[in-house]
Amino acid sequence: MSPAPAAALLAGLAAAALLADRIVSVAAIAAVLLLVCLRGPAGRRRLYLVGALGSGLAVFLLTPFVSTIGWHVLWSGPSVPVLGRLDVTREELRNGLFQGLRLTAVGLAFAAYALLLDHDRLVQAAGFARRSVLAIALGTRLVPTLERDAAGLVEALRGRGVEVTGARGRARLVAPLLAGSLERALNLAEAMEARGYGRPGATRAPRPPWGVRERGALLLAGLLVAIGALWL
Amino acid sequence: MALASVRALSYSYPGAQEALSGCSLELEPGEVVALLGPSGGGKSTLLRALAGLVPHFHGGRFSGRVEVAGLDTRRSRPAELAGTVATLFQDPEDQVVFTRVASEVAFGLENLGTPPAEIPPRATEALAAIGAAHLSERPIAELSGGELQRVCLASVLALEPRLLLLDEPTSQLDPDGAAAAIELARSSGAAVVVSEQRPDRVLEACDRVLFVEAGRIREGEPLPAAWLPREVHLPASEPADAAVCRLGDVSFAYDALPVVEGACIELGRGEIVALVGPNGSGKTTLAKLAAGLLEPDTGHVERHGRACYLSQDPGRYLVRERADEEVALAVDGDLARSRRALAAVGLAGFEERHPRDLSSGERERLALAAVLVADPDLLVLDEPTRGVDPERKDELAALLRVQAPGRATLVVTNDLVFASEVADRCVSTGAREVALA
Repeated sequence: MSPAPAAALLAGLAAAALLADRIVSVAAIAAVLLLVCLRGPAGRRRLYLVGALGSGLAVFLLTPFVSTIGWHVLWSGPSVPVLGRLDVTREELRNGLFQGLRLTAVGLAFAAYALLLDHDRLVQAAGFARRSVLAIALGTRLVPTLERDAAGLVEALRGRGVEVTGARGRARLVAPLLAGSLERALNLAEAMEARGYGRPGATRAPRPPWGVRERGALLLAGLLVAIGALWL
Repeated sequence: MALASVRALSYSYPGAQEALSGCSLELEPGEVVALLGPSGGGKSTLLRALAGLVPHFHGGRFSGRVEVAGLDTRRSRPAELAGTVATLFQDPEDQVVFTRVASEVAFGLENLGTPPAEIPPRATEALAAIGAAHLSERPIAELSGGELQRVCLASVLALEPRLLLLDEPTSQLDPDGAAAAIELARSSGAAVVVSEQRPDRVLEACDRVLFVEAGRIREGEPLPAAWLPREVHLPASEPADAAVCRLGDVSFAYDALPVVEGACIELGRGEIVALVGPNGSGKTTLAKLAAGLLEPDTGHVERHGRACYLSQDPGRYLVRERADEEVALAVDGDLARSRRALAAVGLAGFEERHPRDLSSGERERLALAAVLVADPDLLVLDEPTRGVDPERKDELAALLRVQAPGRATLVVTNDLVFASEVADRCVSTGAREVALA
């Protein structure tokens, strides 16, 4: 399938997860998206899955402590300055689960977009706002690029006999990684300008025409949003 | 009439000393000009001035006049000059926009408004000309350094420019690829300005030589001895007896792609071995296997003592905020040893400098100090002469020779001149890549 309708389909699923009111609906959407993500390359998907599932879990765990909903108290804790008494109610747990699943679904939709879609063809397919689409595609590449740079840094240090271990060791790589990203971004911007980027009258390489599947996917994406808002 | 002219050009990057000083030159259509000179002498800045990137992209202080095809570069932005001028930058890794080869080559053509139907055939033709047609559908991330450099060269050749600016276009290419790339640029019909640190081939192909040093252009004067062409005699001594590292029938594959198959190599104490071979033939992988950074899928690797590995483009992988601390990482923070290592590579006085404030050549030497300081039993250097001028290469060769008796040294290189100067023997990896058309 062409990447543009596939991206629309993923966006439709993410929107449906955000619009749905029932936990079971959001959980079903997240499960579908998880299955889609598992089709991604094994070496790359781990980081995305950990990010999406981990952030959802964090929201589930933290929400009961920072919200005050409901009266079915399951656990009553100490009183903490600013936050007040730490109570966990059944309603807060339910809300935490709901918000956590929503975030997980959106994270998994992004993971599927990053892992499975051909971003080059997505940029080429953009009939309008091509510069914005290219910026998004370049932004999407930030994660794998940082991952590759981090692997390069770790390897370079291992080459000197220095092992990078533990959270502290890895945290020390953050500053050089960011500095490297900024340098790379400047070099890339210079190279793009030298190759005529931003000049009026740009054209596009021919793209394959859309078939029934592509049009159907686009229709389904719209339907998913409507279904999410009205019935889920 | 000249295609391009530079008159009394002086330029300083923001907050820096003058990079170009009173430079003047004229370029005729179709001529090939070699731009030689030491690292940091102003070659890349001159190329950027011809592309309009100086001053438009970099800012700074600019005086004088640069005209290309009748366009004043101060009035025309680089994007407007694109197509008339095409630039290949030093680091191929930093100029890639897309994730697949075919899209990357098509990018410039799309920006220039090439009719859509012409884009795929022109991209394919450019890739075929540089011997990279088989890479067309490959993801960029899977290419070797040399393969990526070919793709970047195809991207600029596809534009069919009138002025082609090449900044070290062969730094990662194997010798056959380098010769073919220079010949291809020469036969493109464009005026070509090519900056090179491996001058032999470009000196054979060029019509004129400009030597750029300390921001000034010298023309018509004899070249310094280090820049003159040298004969290549690949050494073939017998392997040393005391093996520090032995690879026996080693194979390795990235995912399903086999890169090294049944390789055997032995590195003895006191010898320097040059590992040469075509781009994509597994030299870097073999070097990493020797250094213990990769484990073989089959076969065995035997290693005695400490191994250190200096990666390609090591200036990218510096993590500390002071040069001496960076070097001291490998010796548990011993700053005295670190300072001695810095002095050995000519960086005495740079101890407190931030590594990212150093020039690219200085960064490479800093990274070299960061492995030499550990005094390893096995030293593996992956393309240590990339971006290094001939005078520095001679210094590097001398340094490695002086330190050679205490260790085994493996140097992965496409620079056969350097290999013949530094190595006791050469080992070649098999041919994998299709030769240039």
